Amino acid sequence: MSENLHGIMAEFDTATELVDAARRVRDAGYVDTDAFSPFPLHEIDEALGIKRSVLPYLIFAGGITGLLSGLGLEWFVHVYDFPIIVGGRPHFSLPAFVPPMFELTILFAAFTAVFGMLFLNGLPSPYHPVFNIERFALATREKFFLLIESSDPQYDYAATRSFMESLGGQEVFDVPE
Amino acid sequence: MSDVSKYQAPDVVNRWRTLSLGVGGIGLVAWAVGTFFFPEQGLRSWLLAFVFWGGLGIGCLGVLMLQYMTGGAWGVVIRRACEAGTRTLPLVFLMFIPIAIGVYTGTFYEWTHLPPTDPVVVQRGVYMAPWLWIVRGFFYIAAFMFMAWLLNSWSAEQDKTPDVEMSRRLLEKASRFSGPSMVLFCILVTFAVVDWVMTLEPHWFSTIWGLLYVAGWGLSCFCFMVALMANLIETAPMNGVLGRRHFHDLGKLMLALVMVWAYFNFSQFLIIWSGNIPEETVWFLTRMRSGWGYIGVALIFFHFAFPFLVLLQQDFKRRWKWLSWIAIFVLFMRLLDMFWHIGPTVRISPGAIAQGSFYVSWMDIVTPIGVGGIWLWWFFGQLMKRPLVPINDPYLEGAIEHGHSH
Repeated sequence: MSENLHGIMAEFDTATELVDAARRVRDAGYVDTDAFSPFPLHEIDEALGIKRSVLPYLIFAGGITGLLSGLGLEWFVHVYDFPIIVGGRPHFSLPAFVPPMFELTILFAAFTAVFGMLFLNGLPSPYHPVFNIERFALATREKFFLLIESSDPQYDYAATRSFMESLGGQEVFDVPE
Repeated sequence: MSDVSKYQAPDVVNRWRTLSLGVGGIGLVAWAVGTFFFPEQGLRSWLLAFVFWGGLGIGCLGVLMLQYMTGGAWGVVIRRACEAGTRTLPLVFLMFIPIAIGVYTGTFYEWTHLPPTDPVVVQRGVYMAPWLWIVRGFFYIAAFMFMAWLLNSWSAEQDKTPDVEMSRRLLEKASRFSGPSMVLFCILVTFAVVDWVMTLEPHWFSTIWGLLYVAGWGLSCFCFMVALMANLIETAPMNGVLGRRHFHDLGKLMLALVMVWAYFNFSQFLIIWSGNIPEETVWFLTRMRSGWGYIGVALIFFHFAFPFLVLLQQDFKRRWKWLSWIAIFVLFMRLLDMFWHIGPTVRISPGAIAQGSFYVSWMDIVTPIGVGGIWLWWFFGQLMKRPLVPINDPYLEGAIEHGHSH
């Protein structure tokens, strides 16, 4: 039974219980953990010791890339590849270049935000072991779940299971792979 | 009733009030002496101070209506300070008197001296008659005062009613009033700033002018609120109200308005640059040469790029000390922006420097300090009159909690 487990999951009735349990899990030194709740819990990041996402930096880099791509495209078209005089203005007319540069900045940053978010979340994910637990469906309605994965360096089936049971949840489940 | 005294402004506000009056008084005396010798310069500097500080009062009205429409914790915690800002509008009304006198006597504004055959004078006709211009100016401020009076009286009524249903209804009334009034507000601001600032260059026009000031004054208001709240958070009662998340939200709004300011300004520049018509480009040509050009570049970097990059960072917005420093910095840039609008315009008194020459008078520095001192003295006086938070607002508890969450 202890072979081929994705992890051990505990079920809680309230958000407060989940956050308290998450703090104890973090303090016990577990790192490969996850929490599930029907609505966003701002406290849970801190309680589980989840680090800030790198996504903002990726988005910033995406925005800069868009800005430079816009400038590069316009330089290539208007100065290098096909220079024609428009309205008596110089080939390299920065004020006129700004709107496309701005648009591409937004576009690249937005794409990085959406796809980066999906990628960092490991989505799309057609199969996830937690759904092997029937009661887990309640995570979208009224129950709160906490998971310690078997990949955690501190994971030991017997010890982790009894630790999870000591957290005071409703029930503790073994989650098969 | 115990809540009323619980949320009373701390004593330190009274000290700031006295200090402001002292500084403002000295500044005003200096202004009066300067204006006696150089009336045009004195009035131009007064206009600069009026557009900056009066704009802060008008901006507070806009933000007050905005927060009634959108709701949100940030609006609940700054509502009372915004209301105090709108109650400075009677002072703004008085501050318009020197400008009215200046126009009536033809001491400043080039259009008061244009020949009657000038196409602008012919076309605009009685609309630009000095008496009508002056009446309009007072009317705009009176209209803002009326909106502010309504919103303030509903809010005061809410403080007196312990009934939740009643205070909810007052809140609803205020938000229903704010929607249409916001539209009227933007139209009035457009008319007002076209009269007060754009006509300094009587032959020049820009259709985005009003929005530049709607966004600019809104930004001034948010910066002022952040600086004020960061100075109140350490003492009771606001130490139990404000949290870092409130500053995070206000910081986001500052970021948004910094971007809107840049967006509107660039739109104006791009359209005029693309059109390339001499009567329009002259405004930018004057402001891109000599010292004015350096100010223009400084505005791009320090009114937009620097605050933009700094405010992008979450940590920065959550630390109120840092955020208040950037807010004060942006307020200085707001003043510089106003100066960039007003400073290069035509002077009419004999012997005055030619248009386009770079010139900063000592009065351009002293007058905003003097007027600012008086404005702040009035503001702090108003702030002390009511509890610092809307005590019976049904959303108050949630708003306080929001600030302390993660």
